[in-house]
Amino acid sequence: MENPLVQDELSALRASAELRAVTDSIQDYAIVLLDPQGVVLTWNTGARQIEGYGPEEIVGHRFDRLYTAEDRAAGRPQTLLAEALRAGRAHDEGWRVRKDGSRFWADEVISPLRGANGAVEGYVKVTRDLARRRQDDEQSGEGRTVLNVASVTDYAIFMLDPQGTITSWNLGAERAKGYRADEAIGSNLSIFYTPEDQAAGRPMRLLRRAQDEGRVEDEGWRVRKDGSHFWADVVITRVNDRNGKLIGFAKVTRDMTERRREEEQLRQAEERLRLMIESVQEYAIFMLDRQGRVASWNRGAEHIKGYTAQEIVGQHFSRFYPPEEISAGKPERELEIASAKGRFEEEGWRVRKDGSRFWANVVLSATRNREGALIGFTKITRDLSERKRAAEEMAERARQQSVAAELGLYALQSGQLDRVIERSMQTVRETLQIDDVRILRAGESPVPGARTVRIHAPEPDAEYGFLAASASRPLTANDVRFLQAVANVVAVAMARSQSEEQLRLAEREAIEERGRSVRIQEALLERDEFISVAAHELRTPLTALQLKLQGLESSGGLPPPKGERLGAAVRQTERLARLVDRLLDVSRIAQGRVEMTSESFDLAIIVRQVAEDFREPATQARAALELQLPEKLEGSWDRLRIEQVLVNLLSNAVKYGAGKPITVKLEEVGDLVRLCVADRGIGIAPDDVDRIFGRFQRAAPIRNYGGMGLGLYITRHIVEAHRGTISVISKPGEGSTFVVELPRLSAPAAAGRDKVPRARA
Amino acid sequence: MTGPSCGRTVLIVEDDADTRMALAEVLQDVNYRPLHAANGAAALQELRAATTAPCVILLDVMMPIMDGKTFRAEQQKDPALSEIPVVVLSAHADLDTAAEQMQAAGFLRKPVELGALLATVAQFCEQE
Repeated sequence: MENPLVQDELSALRASAELRAVTDSIQDYAIVLLDPQGVVLTWNTGARQIEGYGPEEIVGHRFDRLYTAEDRAAGRPQTLLAEALRAGRAHDEGWRVRKDGSRFWADEVISPLRGANGAVEGYVKVTRDLARRRQDDEQSGEGRTVLNVASVTDYAIFMLDPQGTITSWNLGAERAKGYRADEAIGSNLSIFYTPEDQAAGRPMRLLRRAQDEGRVEDEGWRVRKDGSHFWADVVITRVNDRNGKLIGFAKVTRDMTERRREEEQLRQAEERLRLMIESVQEYAIFMLDRQGRVASWNRGAEHIKGYTAQEIVGQHFSRFYPPEEISAGKPERELEIASAKGRFEEEGWRVRKDGSRFWANVVLSATRNREGALIGFTKITRDLSERKRAAEEMAERARQQSVAAELGLYALQSGQLDRVIERSMQTVRETLQIDDVRILRAGESPVPGARTVRIHAPEPDAEYGFLAASASRPLTANDVRFLQAVANVVAVAMARSQSEEQLRLAEREAIEERGRSVRIQEALLERDEFISVAAHELRTPLTALQLKLQGLESSGGLPPPKGERLGAAVRQTERLARLVDRLLDVSRIAQGRVEMTSESFDLAIIVRQVAEDFREPATQARAALELQLPEKLEGSWDRLRIEQVLVNLLSNAVKYGAGKPITVKLEEVGDLVRLCVADRGIGIAPDDVDRIFGRFQRAAPIRNYGGMGLGLYITRHIVEAHRGTISVISKPGEGSTFVVELPRLSAPAAAGRDKVPRARA
Repeated sequence: MTGPSCGRTVLIVEDDADTRMALAEVLQDVNYRPLHAANGAAALQELRAATTAPCVILLDVMMPIMDGKTFRAEQQKDPALSEIPVVVLSAHADLDTAAEQMQAAGFLRKPVELGALLATVAQFCEQE
């Protein structure tokens, strides 16, 4: 598996002074031969330039010293040799140390060299300083960033004579160009060039430049034996003999097709990125150099900050800050933070070219090269003014709502309209920071330019007035909403005040009414007292009068016609006595002094007896008296007072019955007894039904009917004292039916009562 | 309490002269022998002066000088008089209670009806 060509190459490298010259003359690559133990055998110009040692300082020493202490401690140099031995090639990228102790980032390829017996005879190490290359790239503007260095097999390395004729050929050359050594040697280098380049004399021009300048680099399309093109990186170095005379050229060519493709992709990606960044409008994306001067500018930056690239590139970025922050040293502090921590972010005020401010989100990132050195900053700025304004508007609205709610609570608690209005006006002035706010009642007109909102009244489409606010600034939708909220509070307070006023009036009326009622009560009491006294006073002369008349009548009377007159006088006296009795009953009832005395008796018998007593008056009134009575109906009541009830109802029926039949009906209904006295007389109007049980109340016009209207009043009180009820069913012109219902065992025993019968009403 | 020996004498104690006279007249009409007194004090004098004790005293309550209640108390204190029954005569609503308090044998409410008066007096006096 030994490749004879490799060994040839090795022998050639060792033997040929010319080849030694080739490697020696190459400046961009450190090409070093190591023995199997890693001791440096050869040291070329590139190695001297890159690593800093002269050949005398390094040849014979182990190559380990080219590595960092950490790598040496980790056995990295030996690992790489073992890797090269095992895989045929070791490729590494990492820090290497120069003679002066400084470090550089290296691309390194180590390949083993084997002897004829296959034993390892040594290694070729090719090292490239990537940073230097990149700096070169940047200086030359070629846009290349990285160049991989490959082992000798990765490079076509060959010699040319001064005329460009190929004099040596290696494995890398065969791989790259497809020609074998015997095919290539003796040919002119122009066979590798495209017809266009040949026509343009490019091969010879390059040689001349190498001859004149000692070295030429070129990149371009080259042609393989099979005619295919590849992108080549070419270095042609002038080779001199000891006397400085040109003896030929060393040419190192690398197939960069793949690299070029990658670079093209990278370039396109970078271009896309650049275009993208440039076209972004929402973000200002720009670079600052290490001192904070603007190095690049995009459309977003122009849009947000108002400067064009020409105006701002090269200017210090502090001009984007408000003066007070500049004097406080804020821009510099931000750069410090970004370079220390890699990143700085904040939200704050920034200044546009026109001096206006905007609320910005700013991200400042330190930008470093591969070595970690700070090369500048990337700054991304976003204008948050709109967002901030929206947030502030929200906050303002929330604040106004809470103020309105507080005002509502105050209105609820205070309840005094003038204070609610005063507080409302104060709240509007303070919250909206406006000059003038007032309430316009109906008919008042606002000052010009004032904003008005309606103070709604409870009725639909009605209003108490308007709330008018004048401000030097325009009022926002929020402000108007707030005004309406305040107007609503005022409206509620006004409505409340109005209903409270009505309530106060109603209360005053009620108090007056109560006063009237008390006076009426007092008057009634006085009258009851008067009736009572009057009745008593009347009784004494009545006693004498009645006794004298009755005595006259009973002692034989007088001869006619005087006897009849005496009889009439006696009857009128008795009537007068009954009226006085009634008066006393009424006054007792009015004063709550009715006492009931229950005894057991048969109500049917009593009804029959009383009805019998009315037979004669009924006949006189030409009214038939019809009785519907049970055989027997026993219960416990105040007998005299129940008699009084019967008398009152029957006398009413006779009086108002208009000579039509009168029915008296007694029946048992469960625990109750029901007494109905029905006439078919004039009846009672519905409006009067409720009133007929009142004192001195009669439904019938007083001029048509005599009597004092006390009967039903007394009747009702007697029935109620028995815990019964009395009602009337009546239609004008059709008669009235009085219905009395009494519990069968009703009146409780009362303390004391008349021991002798009293006169019946 | 009525004794058979009291005959038909009735003492009327009443301040209103007309009433007193009317009572006396109607009683006299049916052959009672009425005695008169215008107040309680006069009634006591009359009783103590009388040869025959009345079978019943008709006693008004409200009277000047000595009212019915005081008279009744005095009467009850005097063993010679205490047995004579008293019927209280009044227009007052509380007549029944008053009568009870005075330990009266009965009461008559003014205006007094002739029938009721005669029936009551008859309970205490000898029949003709």
